Amino acid sequence: MNDTTRFVTFPLGDERYALDSSQVKELLMPSRVYSFPHTMHSLEGVLVRRGTVIPVCDLRGAFGHSAAPSFYVIARCNYAGRSETVAIPVSGDCELVQGELVGEQSDAPQDITFVSGLLRTGGRTVPLLDLDQVVSHCIQPTVTLATEAKR
Amino acid sequence: MADPVRKSERRPLFISRSVKPVAATAGPVILFTAGGMRFAVEASEVEEIQDRDDRTSIRKLKGMESIDFALQVGLGAGILDRFVVLKPGECSLGVTDVERMASLPKVVPLPGLFRGAERQWYRGLLLLENGVVPLVRADYWRKAALPAAETRSGA
Repeated sequence: MNDTTRFVTFPLGDERYALDSSQVKELLMPSRVYSFPHTMHSLEGVLVRRGTVIPVCDLRGAFGHSAAPSFYVIARCNYAGRSETVAIPVSGDCELVQGELVGEQSDAPQDITFVSGLLRTGGRTVPLLDLDQVVSHCIQPTVTLATEAKR
Repeated sequence: MADPVRKSERRPLFISRSVKPVAATAGPVILFTAGGMRFAVEASEVEEIQDRDDRTSIRKLKGMESIDFALQVGLGAGILDRFVVLKPGECSLGVTDVERMASLPKVVPLPGLFRGAERQWYRGLLLLENGVVPLVRADYWRKAALPAAETRSGA
């Protein structure tokens, strides 16, 4: 499959990943994350943007990066059959690039997870992030807290 | 036959469509702290607020059930200095402090990625000038505090 379109690339852990630009709503400078008690793994809290709240998905568990975020990538994903908006903190520069999809999931290296394809841009190959898979994998409710106990 | 002139006079020049609001407003809410975090409950759901000493004597009389709110939402055992008594007065939320009331705050639904017990705990999120505060779902906490009463009423 050869498809040329625009992508947003950003660092996650030691690797750069790409998302189709149509999936990315905006890039936000670091802003306050409001946290409150909940039971979802990997959800740090919420950002407030123009009167709406956007959940922040912390991907450190999956990608291992821990530096303070330089940007939040606000992107759409499908989660449990619904389209949701999520903020992904990334540490480093984000780029809008033009590229060509040169492979699908089966062509991706086996040790790279959450990759739906490979993008060729500017003489390098960047894995295309499967955000739906990442979010589905990372964001899970912890059942232990869901059980209520009367004191 | 209908008069065409009169008919056109009745036609509105502009059709205004209601736009779905991003945030609605809630009624007055009571802000409280538990486990070091802020929460809110609708004032219309609250019977009264008691302090620890009041409650000790009242509980002996009425057998009121209470829950440690901080503990229930995973913040660990809280300091229970105040008790937010939910209507009709059979149960209360043990909290650290009651801050103030806020009127007509904006409330937004919990984002869909939150799919765990928090959907039962909270009705939504309040957007206040200095933060985002979960609005607790009084009916859920009433049931959590009074399972025995629920069983009795369901029987």
